[in-house]
Amino acid sequence: MRVTKGAQIVAGTALLALAVAACGGGGATTGNPASGGAGDTPVRMELGEPQNLLVPSNTTESEGAEVLAAVFEPLVNYDENKQVVLAAAESIESTDNKVYTIKLKPYTWQDGTPVEAQNYVDAWNYAANQDNAQGAGYFFGRVEGYADLNPGEGKQVTTKEMKGLKAVDNSTLQVTLTAPFSQFKTMLGYTAFYPLPKSAFGADGKVTQEYGEKPIGQGLFKLDKPYKKGTDQAIDLSVYDKFPAKKPTGWTKLQFKLYNSSETAYNDLQADNVDIHDSLPASAISSAKTALGDRYQDQPDAGVGYIGFPLKYSDEYKDVKVREAISMAIDRKTIAETVFTGTRSPADDFINPAIDGYRQGACQACQYNPTKAKEQYAAAKGPAKLELGYNADGGHKEWIEAAANNLRANLGVEVTVKPFEKFANILDDLDAKKYKGMFRMGWAIDYPSAENYLTPIFSTGAIKTGSNYAGYSNKEFDDTVAKGDQAATPEEGLKFYQQADDILIKDLPYIPVYFYRNNSGYSTKVKNVKINLLNQVEWADVEKA
Amino acid sequence: MSNDPQAGPVQTVTAPSPPGKLKKEAKPASLWGDAFYDLRRRPMFILSVVLIAILLVMSFWPSLFTSVNPFDAKTCELATARQGPSAGHIFGRDSLGCDVYARAIFGARNSIVIGVSTTIITAVVGGLLGLVAGARGGAIDTISSRITEVFFAIPWILGALLITATFRSANLGIWIVVIALAVLAWPMTFRIMRAAVITARNQDFVVAARALGASQSRVMFRHLLPNAIAPVIVVSTINLGVFISAEAALSFLGVGVQSPDISWGLMIADARNRFLEAPLPLVFPAVFLSITVLAFIMLGDAVRDALDPKLR
Repeated sequence: MRVTKGAQIVAGTALLALAVAACGGGGATTGNPASGGAGDTPVRMELGEPQNLLVPSNTTESEGAEVLAAVFEPLVNYDENKQVVLAAAESIESTDNKVYTIKLKPYTWQDGTPVEAQNYVDAWNYAANQDNAQGAGYFFGRVEGYADLNPGEGKQVTTKEMKGLKAVDNSTLQVTLTAPFSQFKTMLGYTAFYPLPKSAFGADGKVTQEYGEKPIGQGLFKLDKPYKKGTDQAIDLSVYDKFPAKKPTGWTKLQFKLYNSSETAYNDLQADNVDIHDSLPASAISSAKTALGDRYQDQPDAGVGYIGFPLKYSDEYKDVKVREAISMAIDRKTIAETVFTGTRSPADDFINPAIDGYRQGACQACQYNPTKAKEQYAAAKGPAKLELGYNADGGHKEWIEAAANNLRANLGVEVTVKPFEKFANILDDLDAKKYKGMFRMGWAIDYPSAENYLTPIFSTGAIKTGSNYAGYSNKEFDDTVAKGDQAATPEEGLKFYQQADDILIKDLPYIPVYFYRNNSGYSTKVKNVKINLLNQVEWADVEKA
Repeated sequence: MSNDPQAGPVQTVTAPSPPGKLKKEAKPASLWGDAFYDLRRRPMFILSVVLIAILLVMSFWPSLFTSVNPFDAKTCELATARQGPSAGHIFGRDSLGCDVYARAIFGARNSIVIGVSTTIITAVVGGLLGLVAGARGGAIDTISSRITEVFFAIPWILGALLITATFRSANLGIWIVVIALAVLAWPMTFRIMRAAVITARNQDFVVAARALGASQSRVMFRHLLPNAIAPVIVVSTINLGVFISAEAALSFLGVGVQSPDISWGLMIADARNRFLEAPLPLVFPAVFLSITVLAFIMLGDAVRDALDPKLR
């Protein structure tokens, strides 16, 4: 019997080791330090695993976009006042908001060849073609000829080009839209509008797997080696020497470290094992303020956190009264104050206050009203069991549990909380129509315009190609947004966008829960870390401490 | 075991064999009688029995200990999250504003149910198979022994993660944990039972019973089982504590008991991120867990000492 007892001690120790490992987690996954010269240690940033290969037109989530933003230079950037500033574009002009002429600055690809207007044309045609099934393809829906590349499922695509795209000469690009769109210039900063070099395309005209693993851009950083999704725990990059714009001083290597848990990344940040963490978990906020001091940053952010309903394939939430009741049963203010320690603000509109167009208190059903919620839920015969899914890699557990408790207490229903290991898993399950419960969703803007809270998330066109995970479709909404797009001035456009916003508030395909604030932290090894409105780090400004 | 008082009589008649020479008293002594006599005098045994009794009451009638029903979401007040101990909430509140004391009390049930059911399953399945394998020998023994070796080769935590993850969709609730642990733990009982049966098999009283024409099953259940069950009972008691801590580990890792069900492992996992800010929601379930595991392991140790004095 001694043997048995010994085995038990071993079992006990194994358990302890495991518990410790679970706390330390990703600490062991430290990527191989860059093999570069002495003293040139990389600046390391926390990242979740990208959903897809690193192809701009197929990257519609924040993690892949973060990497691509380092590798590519967009046509336009945004300043602190959310105004468009030119980046890779020399000028963008239009007299009628319909035909845009874009002149390019002389950039080179990271393989040495010059960037030409044709590279944009190729990339955008590829993105828009339905045969290529690119997640961000719908962004080109306004370009003339988009319909030819998207005749509908099962139908043959007869051309490979959009009529509206033309490379006038090597450095001039002309884009013709089907209808005037006042926000087009603002839109051009988004990931999907990056160009692609000729070498990206294989013999069959599709972007190759190799390119997706090691994209060649025209931006500040180039990848050192291909990124193998699923096996690699880090993405290593170094500064591209011939990058013509501002480069960081004092360092040349950048490493994205992949984490499964935001909490683990925070532990690593405190131990100086990772340098920048741009999405601190809620549970870390109060300790971050004291532990990091000045290295903790809290800034307004244009993102919105939602709870979504799978309207396209689940009938349970069809009744808008049910959705309203669920919305009213959630105590946003207390969640923002207690769970997020004041680092989120309760949402009361679909448009974030950081962007023009927000109206305080616009969403009536976003007001906490447990009594009315209960009555209305009972009257509408809402489901007795609710499921609430979230991704466990993003620090969402606490607020989801809190919201679930609100629903349990205020609606008297049974609520199951379902964690998905990664954000990519929940998106995949929603795409595959496998998951039938409510789900956590968040939106970080692609470009600073009220329109960005509407079209990509709630338009009918975005069901198939975009981020409309609810499957919401309302013609009136689509039409109102279109009117805004075609308005002559931004102010006039905004009025229509607000009307469209009102329709969303009435229909509640998602319920807005909170407005993000950006809570980031950095290690003692770096300084001057700025995170822009698109939640991306301004790399050229970062300095080693 | 050879100097154990012979509980299994040589004859098929139930005439008691002479009491063990070591005992001076006139009253007939048996293994169990001796063991119990011995146990009653051990403070460790008494302490563990008292603790276990409290835990059992706690798991079946948790409302005796607390008036708060933690399954009722109304008892949680988010606004008071992470508050320290107060009059109504002696252990304070957790991150969601729920009463830590009530949750710790209600958490006992899952731990006990999972620990006890896993123990019963492993003892019955492993014990019976071990009895048959040990008594029959031959091909049955060889095959079943090889099978158990396969199970021994699986690291339990990986095996348990695999099983719980695979059958997650079956919605078995806490029973998935019982299944995972039982599947991985029965070979231990099997081995011990088999070894004990093999030792007993060649003893005179068994040989005699066979010679007198006792059937195979009679030999197994009348003679072999009573003489081989003691080590199984000891190991099962100790394992009960181990299973409870295993359940907590699986729940901590997120594959065991699932919220809104309550488990100490789950409470620990929920509280660990805010440990520096609010340590109590982690400390209390951890203390409950430690005491429970300790109680069962102490009980197992005491029983072992009583049943097998050689090892003392």
